[in-house]
Amino acid sequence: MVRRRFHAMGTEIELLVDAGSAEPALDAAEQEFHRLEALLSRFREDSELSRLNRDGALAAGPDLRRVVELALAARERSGGRFDPTVHDALVAAGYDRSFELVPSEMDTSPGMSMDMDIPVQHSMDIHVQAERIELAPGIRIDLGGIGKGYAAERAAEILATAGPCLVNAGGDVATRDGAWPVGVETADEPLTLELSGSSGLATSGRDRRRWRRDGRELHHLIDPRTGAPAETDLLRVTVVASDAIEAEVAAKSLFLAGAELAAAEADAAGIPAVLVTDDGRTVHAGGLA
Amino acid sequence: MTSHTGRLYSLAIALVVFFLAWAVIATHPWATATKDARLQALAAREAQIRKEAKLVQTVVAQRWANYQAQLKTRKAAIAAAKAASSAQLASVSTASSGTASASSPVKVVTLPPLTVTRTS
Repeated sequence: MVRRRFHAMGTEIELLVDAGSAEPALDAAEQEFHRLEALLSRFREDSELSRLNRDGALAAGPDLRRVVELALAARERSGGRFDPTVHDALVAAGYDRSFELVPSEMDTSPGMSMDMDIPVQHSMDIHVQAERIELAPGIRIDLGGIGKGYAAERAAEILATAGPCLVNAGGDVATRDGAWPVGVETADEPLTLELSGSSGLATSGRDRRRWRRDGRELHHLIDPRTGAPAETDLLRVTVVASDAIEAEVAAKSLFLAGAELAAAEADAAGIPAVLVTDDGRTVHAGGLA
Repeated sequence: MTSHTGRLYSLAIALVVFFLAWAVIATHPWATATKDARLQALAAREAQIRKEAKLVQTVVAQRWANYQAQLKTRKAAIAAAKAASSAQLASVSTASSGTASASSPVKVVTLPPLTVTRTS
């Protein structure tokens, strides 16, 4: 078993390959993360995403087009709970730079807008045609979560050439072949889920990327319906799905649903999920024993 | 006396006969019954309408019978489709529940984890 850890996309990345040696594949997978970060980060002025948000239209490369298409499909599938157009709401809430640089406490400075509730616009806001992406006026997109899921899947594809593998992109997990015991944080005792074959796992919550502004606790999971950080009785949701992108979308969608509805939806759809509520309960749903 | 009474009777009878004759003559019993043209047209129209109504009733009855036959056929087809759908759903449900338990991508284990996830 070989393992590599490095920092990319604002989080810790961990690569595991069940092989005696896999240096070329590990190098290629790490490079893939850095390459995709350079394309998809909203914190890099020269990234394709930043240029798209700045100019409103772009002849984009295949990765940005693919991630935007995945995000639009996820928005459709989740009934709007997942929405890439939360960019301005995130910035308004204070998440306007790489998370390591966001102060844990901030005050609204004079002249700065205090309006954090920016309802997300939905209709005809993003067009993807051939190689061109166009945003409606005033629309900017954030691909943070789904971008990491996409990168994890891409890296897993590369690592799979060397053997069974697992990619953990700060909570977005992709596996190929083999059986992989993955530890999941719960409210009480540690839980280990064994992922097998080609699958994905993601955790969304408000227990990490959070900060305080004017005494109010804020986090990075924006509810597109209100344009403000989601108010829910869930602290964290972990979901297992067919791939990391699906898992990321489902985790965010269930998080916004709240504990009761999330458990019902996971059960109905057969989505294995671990829900941790803010009052310290851990609920298994979606057929997870 | 007798002749006076007789004259009175004669006069009364004559008056009765006179008025009876008047009434009989007033009814023109000798005149042939001539029908009003409007009444004739109305009667003809009535007959025509009755004939058409009978025809319409025949057509409606025929169509109703056809509809009932088609409805019966359609109901039988729907029942057959429902039965087939239920059977298919039952077989899919059985198959999927078996597959889920056999090849579910996740299970809870007590092994030490190779990696730990956290909120992304």
